[in-house]
Amino acid sequence: MNDMGLIVRTLARATIPLIGIFGAYIVSHGHLTPGGGFQGGATIAGAGILFLIAFGLEEAKKRINKNLYSALEGIGGLVFLGAAMLGLSVAFFYNLLWHKGPILNGHPGSLLSAGYLPIMNLAVGLKVFTGLVSALMAIALYRRWQK
Amino acid sequence: MSFIAAFVWSYIFWLVLTVGSKGLLWSTQELIAGLIFSTIVGYATRGIIGDRAIRFLNPMKWILAVAYTPVLFWGMVKANFDVAYRVITGKIRPGIVRVPVNLENDAQYAILSNSITLTPGTLTVDACPEEKVLYVHWINIPKGLEWPENSEPVSGPFEKWARRLGE
Repeated sequence: MNDMGLIVRTLARATIPLIGIFGAYIVSHGHLTPGGGFQGGATIAGAGILFLIAFGLEEAKKRINKNLYSALEGIGGLVFLGAAMLGLSVAFFYNLLWHKGPILNGHPGSLLSAGYLPIMNLAVGLKVFTGLVSALMAIALYRRWQK
Repeated sequence: MSFIAAFVWSYIFWLVLTVGSKGLLWSTQELIAGLIFSTIVGYATRGIIGDRAIRFLNPMKWILAVAYTPVLFWGMVKANFDVAYRVITGKIRPGIVRVPVNLENDAQYAILSNSITLTPGTLTVDACPEEKVLYVHWINIPKGLEWPENSEPVSGPFEKWARRLGE
């Protein structure tokens, strides 16, 4: 018995996709509504932790790949840095995509506006999600206090 | 198949979240972003949502769920007044009873357990599909019903509804 039992497990099956898509909504609308990269990433990490708690450590060990999460966290940081360096011809963190950008300079209030902000939000969301899930997995795997 | 179930389930929730982005409907950007994010979420959770979750996309199930709502709501109203009566008078006889149920799959157990917990006065403590029983904490066990034969005295018509909703 490593998991939370039938009722919690069945409801986790239904709610984990909902938490995931809600976190994606917060991340992708970070420039329009309250929330953003960290809040949305922490929300999605909540789905991962719900999976870990409801299904148990054995199941989570099979599904959560350490190398993949480590690589995705690095990619998130690199994408953030890349978006910041796009306007390096003027200044670091110069929002070139907003002033001259091909697609991300739409009407303020629409989804594709605000220049590099959506990209940075997605990068931070990915980094926070993978980082928090990796940290919680590492803590859950640390089981030497009784042996 | 389970990817489709997770994808549709996520996309419906995305549409609910972003309604009103163009007048009262959805702008094209939101629809396309929803497709992308739902694909990612659906792919990531395809192994979690379960192999048979696709059956909940059947429209007949949704009609049944809508029909179940007033039944559940009426049960909640009745049970709330009953609990208010027990709070005032203090006439309680609490205990945990073993309720045999005739259900097959996880979804039916989850629906019935949550319905029992939502109606005050009864609280599902554990569901054991191996023994086909629920353990229910009951605030006022009527005399002689300490070992109920089926779930009818505990939950009323909910077991029949749960069986049809989850099959």
